[in-house]
Amino acid sequence: MKLEDENSTPEADNTSTESASPQKPASFFAEQPPQVKGVAPQLLRRWSRRDVLLFGMGAVAAAVGGGALLPQTTLERWGIIHEKKNWPKKEWLLNSALRIDDDVAEALYSKDRSVPTYTKSQITPLRNNYNGATPDPSYIPEWRLTLDGVASGLSVSLNVRNLVASFQLHEQITRLVCVEGWSAIAWWAGLRFDDLLTAYPPMSQAKWVRIESSVNRGPWGNPDPYFVSLDLATARHPQTLLATHFNGKPLTVEHGAPLRLVVPVKLGLKNIKAITRISYTKDEPSDYWAKRGYSRYDGI
Amino acid sequence: MATTRVAAATLVPDSVAQLDKEPVVTSAPERQRGVLVMHRHHLLVRCSHWLNVPVLLGLILSGLSIYWASPVYHHKPDTLTGNSDWLADVGIWICANVPGLHQYSNPPDWVYNHISLGPGLLAAALRLHWLCAYLFMLNGLVFVVGLALGGGWRSLSPRHTDLRDALKMFRYYVGFPLAKLTRRTWLPPCFNTKYNALQRVAYFSVPVAGLLSVFTGWAIHKPMQLHWLAAIFGGYDKARIWHFWLMWVFILFVVPHVILVLVDGWDTLRSMIVGWSTRAQRSEGFSQ
Repeated sequence: MKLEDENSTPEADNTSTESASPQKPASFFAEQPPQVKGVAPQLLRRWSRRDVLLFGMGAVAAAVGGGALLPQTTLERWGIIHEKKNWPKKEWLLNSALRIDDDVAEALYSKDRSVPTYTKSQITPLRNNYNGATPDPSYIPEWRLTLDGVASGLSVSLNVRNLVASFQLHEQITRLVCVEGWSAIAWWAGLRFDDLLTAYPPMSQAKWVRIESSVNRGPWGNPDPYFVSLDLATARHPQTLLATHFNGKPLTVEHGAPLRLVVPVKLGLKNIKAITRISYTKDEPSDYWAKRGYSRYDGI
Repeated sequence: MATTRVAAATLVPDSVAQLDKEPVVTSAPERQRGVLVMHRHHLLVRCSHWLNVPVLLGLILSGLSIYWASPVYHHKPDTLTGNSDWLADVGIWICANVPGLHQYSNPPDWVYNHISLGPGLLAAALRLHWLCAYLFMLNGLVFVVGLALGGGWRSLSPRHTDLRDALKMFRYYVGFPLAKLTRRTWLPPCFNTKYNALQRVAYFSVPVAGLLSVFTGWAIHKPMQLHWLAAIFGGYDKARIWHFWLMWVFILFVVPHVILVLVDGWDTLRSMIVGWSTRAQRSEGFSQ
């Protein structure tokens, strides 16, 4: 149906009158008869033109704005752009969404909320997910953990035998969830991060922990130190462990011997293996994957 | 259509005598001048409807890029290629069988290169997915407010006759092309509501699917803090499968949705832009 068909009232004025339906609906939930109005054809044409134009402008804005949000590689592959272009605002918008999502995750976190634990029959295989090459186990004999940013102001150096001897070990069977989507249920044992924080309290202004593994290797076996940021609130969670054992045995090099982080309230990428240094910091430390465009908080 | 034109014509003559007077508002509808228009969609419902197009597109494109990082549907790795992803197999099949694609450089990535942002873009895909997901939830709120303000929810609420009537309507749609070809008359089932039963089932189910997408999305996004939500869908891994197939609900809805609105005509498409329809005669039998 075309509006132009109704040209029998060329001088129509701007009348638009309600024809109030005299019948009340049978019930609150019952479908009501539609509101029918008599509208001058010219006015109808004007409304129609205005709304369709607005819609068209919105559609163009959405196509351009939405397209600009897509990654460069995608646009290049689709042949929309042919060279690198830089839209600073685009990163700002996408990063805002990421920050909002991180704030939501932080608001959902509670020290008192435990993650589900499983039975031994529910354990699933856990892949060696070293990003690149598994480090050579030669680092293990002379391995030491360095603690920085403690209240005493000194740098503390510990070996794994000290750690296992002086802290109580806790066991838990929890799920490790990777940012890629896969997950695995694994049986861990280790000391609570909270116990380490009690034994070696951080300096008073500290809000963050930077955890580093200097033995990590890149895809071609090149040294590629791995480091994650962790908020102290999460470090104090009772299920955040510095694990020494996996599936009832001491950690193997594939799973981060001799000491790794198990933090089930975070994505797997925060569960750093073969920890060599823990630093308490006032400001948020950098994070290996956050630098590559992923979330910084990673709370799940 | 003809009915509307006649109706409009019979409404007009009185106006000729009143050309130079102030507009006169009369209570009797048959004395009004102009075209009868019927209010169809609340402004907020229309905004929400169209915003879904870019937002859902963004969610699907980024969602499949996220799926690429760890495909749910995989088989034992192929001995030759090491490939274990069914969607990669689909890409290989397409490149082998679709003319003109034999030279495609990376067949396993064909699906991901064409209906997602692309492989190897997990970080970018996640950021876009979160942005679109929050917009999708806000848009859902706009839709609900629009339905409440305009009273449109009453036209969507299910009725006990819906299943039977939806089947009748489905039969009509299926038989329609054949009837056209054989030049037989093929009348649609009668109804005197805003939507027919099949539309009602679809327009009611799609928001429900949207709600389930949001819930399954949160279940796999926060499987620890919201582990009870993941448990409702059978745990983390099953919630991922729910989330994946809910995407297909939207795709399978959109295809006939677009075809049918184009077949139905400009008035129907326009009513989702401007909010009103000139097919007011349809409502005449409404209250009887």
